[in-house]
Amino acid sequence: MANPKIEPESLLPLTPAVFHVLLALAGGERHGYAIMQEVAEHTDGRIKMGPGTLYGTVKRLLAARLIEESAERPDSALDDERRRYYRLSAVGEQVVKAEARRYADMVAIARGKKLIGKAAMLALPESC
Amino acid sequence: MKNNSASQSFSVSQRIYACLLRAYPRRHRAEYGAAMAQLFRDQCRDAWNESRGWGLAKLWLRVLPDLVNTSIMERLAALNERKSMSDKLAGLSSFQTPPAKVFFKVFVTVFLIVLIVNVAITFLLPESYASTCRIKVENDAVGGFNGNTITDAMKLSDPYFIQTTFEIMQSQLVLSNVIASLDLNTRWGKKYNNGGPLQTEETMKLLRQRLQLAPVRNTKLVSITVYSDDKNEAAQIANAIAESYRDYRVHLRAELAFTDLKVLQEQYRSEEKQIGQIQGALDSLRQQFKITDDGSHNQSPQDKPYWDEKNRLTSMQEAHQLLAAKIEAEKINMQVPQSVLVQVADRAEPGHAPVKPNKPLNIVLGAFEGILAASVLGAIAALIVFQIRKRNQRQNATA
Repeated sequence: MANPKIEPESLLPLTPAVFHVLLALAGGERHGYAIMQEVAEHTDGRIKMGPGTLYGTVKRLLAARLIEESAERPDSALDDERRRYYRLSAVGEQVVKAEARRYADMVAIARGKKLIGKAAMLALPESC
Repeated sequence: MKNNSASQSFSVSQRIYACLLRAYPRRHRAEYGAAMAQLFRDQCRDAWNESRGWGLAKLWLRVLPDLVNTSIMERLAALNERKSMSDKLAGLSSFQTPPAKVFFKVFVTVFLIVLIVNVAITFLLPESYASTCRIKVENDAVGGFNGNTITDAMKLSDPYFIQTTFEIMQSQLVLSNVIASLDLNTRWGKKYNNGGPLQTEETMKLLRQRLQLAPVRNTKLVSITVYSDDKNEAAQIANAIAESYRDYRVHLRAELAFTDLKVLQEQYRSEEKQIGQIQGALDSLRQQFKITDDGSHNQSPQDKPYWDEKNRLTSMQEAHQLLAAKIEAEKINMQVPQSVLVQVADRAEPGHAPVKPNKPLNIVLGAFEGILAASVLGAIAALIVFQIRKRNQRQNATA
């Protein structure tokens, strides 16, 4: 069955949980715990996703084909081989980029209105 | 010992979480249950490493709302996954359980979940012991009256005395001695700073959080209560604070008395000099007016300056004698021990049982919360089932 063509913009805006998970996976394959840790790191520990939120989000992202489960398993000596790894799909990558651009546009507007300074702009990820 | 306690806490937490996963739809559980349990295990490990029992309790407080929210969302999503409205109705129409039974089932389930979670949190919370030392405090007027009725009365009725006492007890003046004498920087560094010593400011902040001061109503007694996970440490700290405060007051009193004495002695020397000068002037006047000391000389208006000066000298000598007596009294006062200013009425003893968490109270409250939540959710579930059955009956009648 051919995948229907998905317009990234049609999925925007993303919920914060979805955006954080996609941002974490933008750095490469991750398992659930690594995603949770990266989200906590990105937000200075302000957001610590519970198992329910994380796997609920993963389930919806898999259903929307924004992420996919990696078939490869790490060496059992390096990691628990029962862990499930996820990665961004091509569509997921387009969507996270589109969302990051949307945030960048909003930051530019806020900057134009002198609501924030240059530091906020510099702090944005490179994908923006 | 610590490892056993950690593995026991992990094991209990994981078993409870595994039971609570039943709140999710079966399909979601089959797909993600193991991964969620594994993630929770990792989070338990992090929380324990971060702040032991408190970390686990905080994790549960974060995970439980997450579990309730997401399980409801997944249940709703599972309901929406049914193919069509007719399928949903067909599914619902097969639901023959009477509302009363639904109420009972929901009530029991919710009540047990709330109670189990409450009991688990109660037993996971770290235990805290309290030790109280009671001291009798007097203000500085005791043993330190200076003869001035107004200032002495002000000292005795100082409305801010207790408040000032509390502030001093929590200040660097007192607590830094306690920290040094009990070596709390090192001891607490091992507990709370991964073995490295704490800075005195950090230790003082922790100490203030564990310290509670309260006046004993209608008395001059103050109770110093210290909380700690170690019952002996709680008692040691409470007693050390009382002793440090007593030392501070005794030292302060001695310093004040020494300053007072120096001022009085200075005044004494100055008066002595003045008396000598007046005595000299009086001798000159006596020679000038040819006045003898035998008392045969009658006072005349011409001699008035002499007699005025003599009266002045007499009154000054009297005042000077009083000052000498005061200096002697002050010297005696300094030699008397000033421990009467702060007396330890009851020394702190290690507590027999932890004061926090109050397990019986927490469990009773958990039961009440469970009954309340179970009644509300049970009633809602029964009402929904009742409405569905009523609608099905109408549809069947129409068909």
